[in-house]
Amino acid sequence: MDVSQYLEIFIDETKEHLQNLNEQLLVLEKEPENTDTINEIFRAAHSLKGMAGTMGFKRMQRLTHDMENVFSEIRNGKFKVTAPMVDVLFRGLDALENYLDNVVSSGDEGEEDNEDVINDLNAFLNGGSAAPDKKAETSSATPAASDEDMGESVFANMKIADFEQHAIEKAKSEEQNVYEIRVVVEESCILKAARAFLVFKALEDIGDVIKSVPDVQDIEDERFEQDFSVLIITKESADVVKNAILAISEIAKAIVRPFDLTGNQGEKTEEKAASADAPKAGKEASASGATATATAPASKKANAADKKAASKPVVNRSVRVDIEKLDVLMNLVSELIIAKNGLVSLNAGGEESKSNNSFNEQIEYLERVTTNLHESVMKVRMMPIESVVNKFPRMIRDLTKKLDKKMELYMTGEETELDRTVIDEIGDPLMHLLRNSADHGLESNEDRIKAGKPEVGSIFLDAYQDGNNVVIEVRDDGAGIDLEKVKNKAIEKGVITDEQAETMTDNDLISLLFKPSFSTADKVTDVSGRGVGLDVVKSKIEGLGGDIECKTVRGEGSTFTIRLPLTLAIITALMVELGDEKYAIPLGSIQTIEDIPCTDVKYVQGREVINLRGTVIPLIRLDSILDVQPREEVPESLTVVIVAKGEKLAGLVVDNLIGQQEIVIKSIGKYINNNKIISGATILGDGEVALIIDANTLV
Amino acid sequence: MEAKENELNTAVVSEGKQYIVVKLGTEQYGIDIQYVDNIVRMQSITRVPKAQSYFKGVINLRGEIIPVMSLRLKFGIDPDEITNATRIIIIKLEAQATIGIIVDEVKEVVNLTEDEIDKPSYNENDEKAAYVFGVGKHAGGLISLMNIAGVIVEKEKENA
Repeated sequence: MDVSQYLEIFIDETKEHLQNLNEQLLVLEKEPENTDTINEIFRAAHSLKGMAGTMGFKRMQRLTHDMENVFSEIRNGKFKVTAPMVDVLFRGLDALENYLDNVVSSGDEGEEDNEDVINDLNAFLNGGSAAPDKKAETSSATPAASDEDMGESVFANMKIADFEQHAIEKAKSEEQNVYEIRVVVEESCILKAARAFLVFKALEDIGDVIKSVPDVQDIEDERFEQDFSVLIITKESADVVKNAILAISEIAKAIVRPFDLTGNQGEKTEEKAASADAPKAGKEASASGATATATAPASKKANAADKKAASKPVVNRSVRVDIEKLDVLMNLVSELIIAKNGLVSLNAGGEESKSNNSFNEQIEYLERVTTNLHESVMKVRMMPIESVVNKFPRMIRDLTKKLDKKMELYMTGEETELDRTVIDEIGDPLMHLLRNSADHGLESNEDRIKAGKPEVGSIFLDAYQDGNNVVIEVRDDGAGIDLEKVKNKAIEKGVITDEQAETMTDNDLISLLFKPSFSTADKVTDVSGRGVGLDVVKSKIEGLGGDIECKTVRGEGSTFTIRLPLTLAIITALMVELGDEKYAIPLGSIQTIEDIPCTDVKYVQGREVINLRGTVIPLIRLDSILDVQPREEVPESLTVVIVAKGEKLAGLVVDNLIGQQEIVIKSIGKYINNNKIISGATILGDGEVALIIDANTLV
Repeated sequence: MEAKENELNTAVVSEGKQYIVVKLGTEQYGIDIQYVDNIVRMQSITRVPKAQSYFKGVINLRGEIIPVMSLRLKFGIDPDEITNATRIIIIKLEAQATIGIIVDEVKEVVNLTEDEIDKPSYNENDEKAAYVFGVGKHAGGLISLMNIAGVIVEKEKENA
């Protein structure tokens, strides 16, 4: 059956189900007894499985099937929800998301089998609670990296596949040594995967690696904490092996000890005695697990190649529209047709009926319809910000584990609507800010207790509409930014001079954080706590026509405020005249309009300024900046449009005000050399083109 | 069947390409018709401050904003004199990138075959060499065939 036509629907719905599962799992972790949640999860998992099966994505289907089994046991009350279990389930969801990404980019689910997840899931099902718990701990929970002792052998709990067992036995008979090695990477190590790779390489030089925990794929993808374990067959002695590993830099520890097959087998037989079904299933799972390990490196390479080749998504982006919105559109279009027919009949009706009255009536009707039509179309483009932010609770949960900091994310205003294009772009910057807050903003739990704050850090994500803007705030109650250190670092780096530093306000210092030169240096990150990529965040948001501000109070936390235009395509603007040309200034950036007598213009450092109610504001003569032919007569007073960018103000001198107008922003094309003052153009009622001034570049 | 197809092919080849012949000062220029989207009468142009000197500004063409350049200024001849015959040729080189060029007059559409086109002699010092890719002979007159991409895109280098 050709199912390609359903691909888009499948992708949309799978995304929804996955998001739903993510959210519900988070709830379930907090309220393990909540039956509604469990039922909801079960339903979502079940439909996911059905859909994947229909589409022929066997791997997805298999993974969801195993997840569903776990869910169903939870639902039947056979299992208690535990943190390790939720961890594994989340890994399952991640794996499903990877499948989905593959489907989106190539139309195929990919080759990854995710056996480790499936094994872990089955371990829960088979072993009940005790054994799988331990297993989950070793594979996902943070192991105590400082343990001098090796702790429990990770392989003792793991079923060894037949061929591996065979290899081990053969090695023993050939008087080779089988060692189990636990390698601990230094905590400061950045490229863990690279180090692990070197370890593998070193080991392969002296022997054969037969198994690793987590498996090779996970290690290569850096999906391990501080340590990993490998099983190796070698002729060399334990010391040689140990030294070979320790010769690699950034390896903190290597614990080598002989591996004994018998203990493992003992366990196996025990299990056999305990239950008839479980070992069979377990063995099956482990056998396939082993094949996955063996094929992982090869398939990974293939995957990487695939990914590169298939950079262009095969599926078009689609948007789901509320059917009511569509109905409104349909109605309006029919009204438009009626209006047109009205005009036609007026025209056909001969001279008498062409009286001005009925003609005007029709025009007014038409106008009303088009205005409504416009509004409705805009509404279709609007999406609640929810679709972006709903993945963040999960991210914060992951970060809690990763950074070993307790934190909670509080979100409000998820229903705030934004233009679709903005929604698409805003996810990354927000994620970046949240990560920043979690990583650098919040102190460690101990420091928080010392500072007399609640142990659990809070991050707030608030969205709300403010006039023609949507404001998104990312706030934390962490330590705030140490501006002194920022200043010192800036002087050290030569970004500012000592003299400049003296006169800089806190705001000036904060704005340094958004400078590209500042963000690329790792050192500054350690000191200031902020900075990596903030320039990217800023440029992205400015690209969307918005801006970003930061406020910070030492010891109390920082707030990043993003201000975005409600919609990109249509804005309200003030139309002004310069010479005999017309320009539009976006209303969003205008504070006030003032009439200033020429005598009130003062000079500071050769620049024109005015003193407006105690604030000194620089004047900008738009006509000279835009090379407009100045008007002949010199007026007695100047019309000054006061525009603001953040806290900075500037006064734009214009010749005449025309009025406020809704304008449609259009690009002026890429060929014309566009200096940044002009952000676009719009078409006026009479068909003339007026240019839009970007006040932000002038302030 | 095959013979017929061959016949058709040769027919196409011998037909050559169609060019719109425009006048600019005393010279005639040819523009490959496949790039021409539209020809409109002169209309009011909104100046864009700080743009390249040969850009006259932008116009509104049925709700689309289109930048307009003066070929005369670009080619370094006297500034345009707007007459009744002046036209703006709307060129669409690629999707999303439309541009208008002002010409003195649009004369006709001609067919030029390969053997009617001479390659111009290469002259390093001639800035305009990039603007013309050949000279067509038609009805006793010479037509400089405009390299549209060269005329439009090349100034991006200037900017950089």
